[in-house]
Formats: sequence, structure tokens, C-alpha cells
Amino acid sequence: MSTGFFTDTTLCIGCKACEVACKQWNELPSDGFEFTGDSYDNTSQLSGTTWRHVAFVEQMSLGEEGLRDRWLMLSDVCKHCANAGCMEACPTGAIVRNEFGAVFVQPDVCNGCGYCVVSCPFGVIDLIETFDPKGTLYNLATLRTDRREAEQTALQATGGVAGKCTLCYDRQRLGVEPACAKACPTESIQFGEIDELRERARRRVDALQARGVGASLYGADDVGGGVGPLHAFFLLTDRPETYNLPPQPVLPSTHQRAGYTAAALAVAGLTAVAWAIFRSA
Amino acid sequence: MGDIPERVMEAPTYFDRPVLKPPRWDWNVTAYLFLGGIMGGLGLLSLVARGDREDERRLRRTARFASLALAAANPALLISHLGRPERFLHMLRIVKFRSPMSLGVWGLLLYSGAAGANVVRELAEAGVLPRWTRHLAPSIATPLQALLGAFTAGYTGVLLSATAIPLWAAGKRHIPAASVCSGLGGACALASLLSALQGNDSVKPKLERLEMVAVTAELFVLNDFRKAGGYYAKPLFEGSRGERLRAYTMLAGIAVPTALNTLGAIVELPRPLDAIRTAAASVLTLVGGYVFRESLIESGKLSARDPHAAFVQPR
Repeated sequence: MSTGFFTDTTLCIGCKACEVACKQWNELPSDGFEFTGDSYDNTSQLSGTTWRHVAFVEQMSLGEEGLRDRWLMLSDVCKHCANAGCMEACPTGAIVRNEFGAVFVQPDVCNGCGYCVVSCPFGVIDLIETFDPKGTLYNLATLRTDRREAEQTALQATGGVAGKCTLCYDRQRLGVEPACAKACPTESIQFGEIDELRERARRRVDALQARGVGASLYGADDVGGGVGPLHAFFLLTDRPETYNLPPQPVLPSTHQRAGYTAAALAVAGLTAVAWAIFRSA
Repeated sequence: MGDIPERVMEAPTYFDRPVLKPPRWDWNVTAYLFLGGIMGGLGLLSLVARGDREDERRLRRTARFASLALAAANPALLISHLGRPERFLHMLRIVKFRSPMSLGVWGLLLYSGAAGANVVRELAEAGVLPRWTRHLAPSIATPLQALLGAFTAGYTGVLLSATAIPLWAAGKRHIPAASVCSGLGGACALASLLSALQGNDSVKPKLERLEMVAVTAELFVLNDFRKAGGYYAKPLFEGSRGERLRAYTMLAGIAVPTALNTLGAIVELPRPLDAIRTAAASVLTLVGGYVFRESLIESGKLSARDPHAAFVQPR
């Protein structure tokens, strides 16, 4: 049985309870505070230590019918792809698919090579820093000395490896839903069995479309490029780019065949030249 | 390929924030890609050099020693970039054909074995080691080292192109081909520099001719990438990154050494002057090769920051 998330953006109110619940349950350190000025989004992106990120899109336009404005909010998360680029790229086998169908990083196996980071077509997974000398990255400088030392020690012990959403593997093992879904006050984040979620999502799209809302699903079906369907998919009311989701992601390993072929051709050509230069006389 | 549909270019971005994460790789990965290419090229040189000619036998010995030295240095570079260096051995838990990073580590390891065996053979033939030790390196070890060398020179390109970074993915054919050319060019440059230092002058013209072919091929591949890569290739060829690539790799690293090597081929210069010419050409080729890899890594970071390139990813 595979479980996943259905994130219905039409229900999101941007409260960021999912971000907080995720940080708290998974004991993830702060990423430091930066005032971005980009709507209410000061989290900016998913990272090795931020596994939920609420995006805020403010759309305002003055047309003939007067002022039109709407706010779109989306709680982004690891997509747990059917064909996961990070998992294929991982040279240690640290990234596995667990019994819940989720893509899971085993932190004690990962050696921090960073190849998964560039192999995620959604820009989700990232390396966790081990130590930040200036103490700004994880806000360590603002903590009391004893707390700061404790956090630094914790980072030395756990950092240096890749991090991303585990789909709350530990909670699922206990039979409870992931922290973000549990904390979501509007059921924008729904957790459940994947097939059941897809059915629910399609019904929701139909209901919204009947009410004149231009809703569509992102990732409930194959997203193309070899990535396949996503185990964490979204209901959107605008094009994917608006939410910083790529409309045409590509599974990186699909480039390999062409790459090896081109390299082999170059090798063959140059070997022939070298042979001619050294062996002809 | 190379062009992004108009409707995507006009798409609203999310505060111009990147979609993708930039590579977390710095000088040590650049140096690894650079030295790995040279190391691979040296494997090929030790195969084509003939054992029945004194100057080429000396070249073969030089190539074997140099490739072992690089095979010793490369794992150190590889390990130094890991976030958890003490876990390097975790790479050896599995062999994964879908991961160029995994295959590359195994390629490097096997190459080191072949290179080590061939060095043992050289030492046995020179009388440094007991004569029986030459049997540790059967004659198959030479073509094996060349084959593994070709793989290590080429996979560094595949390693980059089998990612989601738009620039690298768009160069899925060009980057591996250019990596092989650059690796062999660098190997020739290093070998002719070492040959000049040893006074093994008669082998230099051959090395220099091969070097000219390799780097000229690299230039053609890069130029074709600039055209075929279109929008995706811009971070490598435009702006200050592009200027750096043009100045250090295309001009100083390919055009100038090729001119110097052509000069050496048509004019017979007196010995000290000719050695200086070789040294200059070789050093420039090596610098050009390093800047090529550095440009790939650094412009990959720029490419990752461009949301439009990531919306419609190269196929």
C-alpha cells in the first residue's frame, strides 16, 4: 500500500501550521530569519531542514470590471515521485523506497556527495550543513549559550547529509498521519492511501469546476518526462509555474544513454586518430 | 531543443525564485573532473605508445607513473567534497548502473588497480622490484587501463548531464564528448611537458599533433553546444562566465597552444627555445582544461537559479 499527500490549494489559508508542525516533530533546526518582502513568504524554499514550505502568490490587476485580486497559497513538499531522480542518482543506496511507497533518505548511510541535490527535477532535496561558524544560518547566534552549544553539537552529529520530507516515516510506523496533515486546520493537506486520494481529488476538481473555478490536478497522473505520477500531488487554480512547480519536469537518468553514446563516439574517434599518429609509421 | 516555448518564457515566476537547487560542488569537484579526464587520457596514451621504440617506451613509462599519481590524488579530492568524508566507503556498498556517480567510483577504483599493476610491471622491468612481479600485470592490463581510462574521462560528462540542471541536461551529448576531448588534450599536454623535462624530444611532435586534434575537436563541440543548446546553454557562453570560458579555454587554452604546436611542427627551433614553447603550450592547455570544468560547474549554478529554464526541462 502506498500513501501520500493530496494538497488542495483552494483550502489553504497560509497559516504555516504545517511548516511548524513538521519542524517540531522532526526536530529540524531553524533556517535563520530573512525578511524577503515577498508577500508572507519568508521561508523561501524547501531545504534540507525545511520539509514544508508555504508559497504565497498575490495576484492583483485593475481591469475594466474593477480591481481583481486573489491570493493563492500552496504548501509545497517533496513529491515522492514514482520514479525518483534522487533515488536513482544516490551512489550509496541511502535513498530507498519504504514500505509506504515514500522516498526515504537513510541518514546513517548517506555520505553527503550531493548528487541527489542536482538530480531532483523539483529542487526539493538539499544538503544539511554540519556547522555554521557565523551562527547565522540556523539562528544559533540568537540562542542562549547553552542552547547554542546543544544545537551545534546536534548539527555536527546529524548534518553533512541530504535531507527532505520522510512522509513522517516514524509516525506512519506508529499508525498516525504525518505531522503536517495532522496540523492542517482546513484539510488542505490530506493524507491517505494514494488511489483513494486521487479519486477524492478528481471529485474535488469536478465539484470546483461545476462552481466555475478553474481547478486542475498537478501530479495525480503521470507528469511526463519519465517522472511518472507523484505521491504528493496538488490541486491548483493557476498554471504550475505560478506556484514554482515545473510544468514539464524530466527524470535526469533519461539523459544517460545519449551521454554515454556521445562519450563512446568521442573515444572511438580520438583513439583512431591516436592510433594513426603513433602506430602508422 | 534549446528553445523554450514563448508561453513559458512569459509565464509568471514565483518572485523569480529558483525552482531547482544549485549544485553544492566547488573547487574540489572541478579539480576531480579535470584530473580524472587527464588520468583517463594517460591510459589511452600508454596503450598507443609502442614498446619497440625507445622514445615511446619512455613515454609509456611516464604516462603510467603519472596516471598512478593521479589515481592516488583523485580519491582524496572525491572524499574531500563529501559532507561526511568518513563515509566514503558507503559508495562501495553497491554497484548502481543507473547512477553515474556510483559507476564512476568503481571505474576510478578499477583504473587505480590497472594503473598500479602496470607501474609494478615498469618497476619490475627496471629491476627495482623482483622480476617475477611483472607477472602481476599481464599484457591485458594495458588495454584494460585504456578502456577504464576512456570511461573515467567520459563519465564525468555523463555525471553532469544526467541531472536536472538545465544547462547540463541540454548538453547531454556535448558535455560528455567535450570532456573526453579535453581529458585527452590535457593528458597530451601533461605528457609532452614531462617529455620535454626528460629531454625525450622525439616523441613530442606526435603528442602535440594528437593534442591539437583533441582540443580542436573540443572547440568544435563547444561551439556546436552554444548553437544547439540555445537558451539553456546561455549561462555557459554569455556574461562574465562566457567571457572567462572564451578567454581561458577557447583562446588561451585551445587557440594559442594549437598555434604554438603548429609553429613547432613547421619551424625547427633550437632546443631550449623549443622546450619553452612546449612548456608554454602545455601549461596553457592545462589551464584551459581546468577553466572548462570550472565553467561547467559554476554556470551550472547559474542555470539552476533560472526558473524559466527549469519550467520546461530539456529532454
